[in-house]
Amino acid sequence: MKALRAVLLLALAAAIGYFLYRQVVQPKPIAADTITVYYCKADGETLVPWKVTLGPARDRRSVAFYATAQALAGPVSGVEAIRFPAGTIARSVTVSGDTATVDLSKDVGSQPGGSFAESGEFKALVWTLTGLPGISKVRVLVAGVAVPTLPGGHLELDEPLARSNW
Amino acid sequence: MAQPARAQGATNYWFVGTSLIFAKLQTRDGETAVANDDPGLVRLLAKLGAALSYDPGQRYLIVTSGDRRTIVFTLDDARYTVAGLTQRAPFAPYAVGGSVYVPLEALAKALYVLPLAREGAVILQPQIGSLDVRTQNSVTTVTLRSALPVKFARTSAAGDERLTLALGAVSTSLPPEREVSGSAALHGLSFQAGGSARNPSTTVAFEVAPGTAHALAPSHSPNELVVAFSTRAAALAGPPVPAAGDFSSGGTGLAMRSAAEGSPSAPTNEYAPLPSDVPVREALPPPALQPVAHVTSVDALPAGDALSVRISVSGPVAYEWHRLADNRWYVDLKNAVLDVPAREEASRTAGVLSLRVKQLSPDPEPIVRVALSLASPRRVDVQPSAGGFTIAVGADDDLDAQRVGAGRITAGAIVADAVPMAPNPAAPASALTDFLAKFAPAPGAVRLPVGTNPRLIVIDPGHGGSDYGAQHNGLTEKDLTLDISKRLRAVLIARGWQVKMTRDTDVDVFAPNDSAHDELQARCDVANQAGARMFVSVHINSFTSSALDGTTTYYYKNADVGLSEAIHRHLADALKTADRGVRKENFYVIHHTTMPAVLIETAFLSNPGDAALLKSPAFLQQVAVSIADGISDYASNAPQVNVSPPDGL
Repeated sequence: MKALRAVLLLALAAAIGYFLYRQVVQPKPIAADTITVYYCKADGETLVPWKVTLGPARDRRSVAFYATAQALAGPVSGVEAIRFPAGTIARSVTVSGDTATVDLSKDVGSQPGGSFAESGEFKALVWTLTGLPGISKVRVLVAGVAVPTLPGGHLELDEPLARSNW
Repeated sequence: MAQPARAQGATNYWFVGTSLIFAKLQTRDGETAVANDDPGLVRLLAKLGAALSYDPGQRYLIVTSGDRRTIVFTLDDARYTVAGLTQRAPFAPYAVGGSVYVPLEALAKALYVLPLAREGAVILQPQIGSLDVRTQNSVTTVTLRSALPVKFARTSAAGDERLTLALGAVSTSLPPEREVSGSAALHGLSFQAGGSARNPSTTVAFEVAPGTAHALAPSHSPNELVVAFSTRAAALAGPPVPAAGDFSSGGTGLAMRSAAEGSPSAPTNEYAPLPSDVPVREALPPPALQPVAHVTSVDALPAGDALSVRISVSGPVAYEWHRLADNRWYVDLKNAVLDVPAREEASRTAGVLSLRVKQLSPDPEPIVRVALSLASPRRVDVQPSAGGFTIAVGADDDLDAQRVGAGRITAGAIVADAVPMAPNPAAPASALTDFLAKFAPAPGAVRLPVGTNPRLIVIDPGHGGSDYGAQHNGLTEKDLTLDISKRLRAVLIARGWQVKMTRDTDVDVFAPNDSAHDELQARCDVANQAGARMFVSVHINSFTSSALDGTTTYYYKNADVGLSEAIHRHLADALKTADRGVRKENFYVIHHTTMPAVLIETAFLSNPGDAALLKSPAFLQQVAVSIADGISDYASNAPQVNVSPPDGL
């Protein structure tokens, strides 16, 4: 009787453990067919959401990479928007816990001087990534390195950015 | 059934008259596959203004074209999208080692590049890939999108109604004729191919109605040419199409410029230097202009439980004293030099623990400080005496003692002392006493943190040295921020503030070509270590679109809000710039300074109107005066009591 109870308890523990693993440890793939990407209007204030159809890869890291690339590209050129400098790409995007780490190419610093643009660019990127399930913070690296700001820049980048920054 | 990939034999590729060498090509299902890291592809994409991103940990490979369309390939899936439209490639992208191979032809076509097989070679021919014509409010706008950043020459005469443009290095497979309906100005346009297959060109002819004017409209991509037509010239915003144009190499690339113009990035100094006779609102001359007074002796004369400190001074001198909460008391003699050795000694008097005399050399003036540590809140009086004055420490405590006072000694007479608790409106106004009234204790007064110098403002002229900041319209941000900051310093000093600048020449604050962290932290350190009461960082904004203009004041910490609002109110009232408001932003220098701090983006040097203002010394002076007005407002509306020792005591 005692042995049976022990076996049942073990089975229950294993079931709970597996459930927790599925729910918490192993990230769920993104179920939706679209994601919301934001760009910041040239007024520096207004964030415009637009729906982008996801490609076939739905694992968390692929979706985060996809969303980052779309946010970096911004809307097509006919639309007036605050844009990352041409050539800015994501070298890598990883997700750990609630934080996405985006490693940007050094092109991101190729338009020195405008705090206005920096703000609009990163606001759009952060809103895009934190719109994905489970992501609430975005850590920015430039060419693989943590930086306090862009070169000659203003916006602080050495702490993860969140929507509450704005 | 997919054939296994194999390395491709040597094919000659040509792109705009030059040979393009691919190092990592394979053949898959009879089609050419190119690796994402092939140097030939990297070079091609760079010439097209396109960028490719791929991260081996995930499955997407994304190319962004110069006109910001995204081309998305997925590992092991033949479907790909171009600007959201799904297409099917002859084979699915596949990974070999750390590289991903994608179909070259599909990628090239998505980037408006047409592969043409010619005599055993493949010519990758850039195209005008799309044409967009819109009419709105009597203005017809034509947008051409090209594989390459646009380069053109106008072949019609200037002022001619008919417009023809020769576009270099591109061909087109668009229909040769396009009729435009619904436009009073533009009837149609046609394309005529020229040049050779390897080095093509295209002439675009715009057929316009009589009396039509045209203008170059701002575009959002170097790969885009936008021309506007209207029968009402006043409806057009941009300049007439110049004789020739390409995108400036300045990086932002959004303003077409005439090829005849000089380099836009050549630093020029078109605004006048700071005049030496800066007009300021206060009548009080800057203290730094007065002759320096010499302190020739300091003698401590104990008298029982009391102490007299006699100080001899060579000439007139302004002074200011403070009583601190921990029974320390000090007086600063301004614009004064200590001719006798500095000293620190224990007192033999019961009521006084120690006496210190030292030279401080803060920007902008030298100060001699005499400081006492008292055993209890002793009464202290400043009295005139022969050749100077005497600090008399009484034998009794004075629990209602004032905390601050100031005055001026002229030939043994003290002109003013002891700032009243509440300023008397009938009393003759002096900028210094008005100023010091701000430090009188007030109900609910905020206590400044330990180490704060209540009179010190740190001004941070943005950028400098190896960091030029933004450059546009012949203006350079680092020069303008320094100019405004020097003016602000003059105004603040005239109003009785002490001022420290993070830089007052064209230098990096930390070191040339230093890291952003070192540079920005060094600026914060100047203010934090000096115990500044406020920190003002002066910047000039810029943006890729010249349409943006106006003044913005940024804050980050809660403590910054009052100062930012006060300064912005004055800037918005006095400047003829657009009011972009007060905004919160996590800018490094306002985050990492420990006192109320603001970052002011004065105007946009990328905007012609704002740039014209920034070239006017009168405007720069008004910016400085407005910031100073905001500082004065803030200081008088938030009375604060200094309860802790300033630096150096």
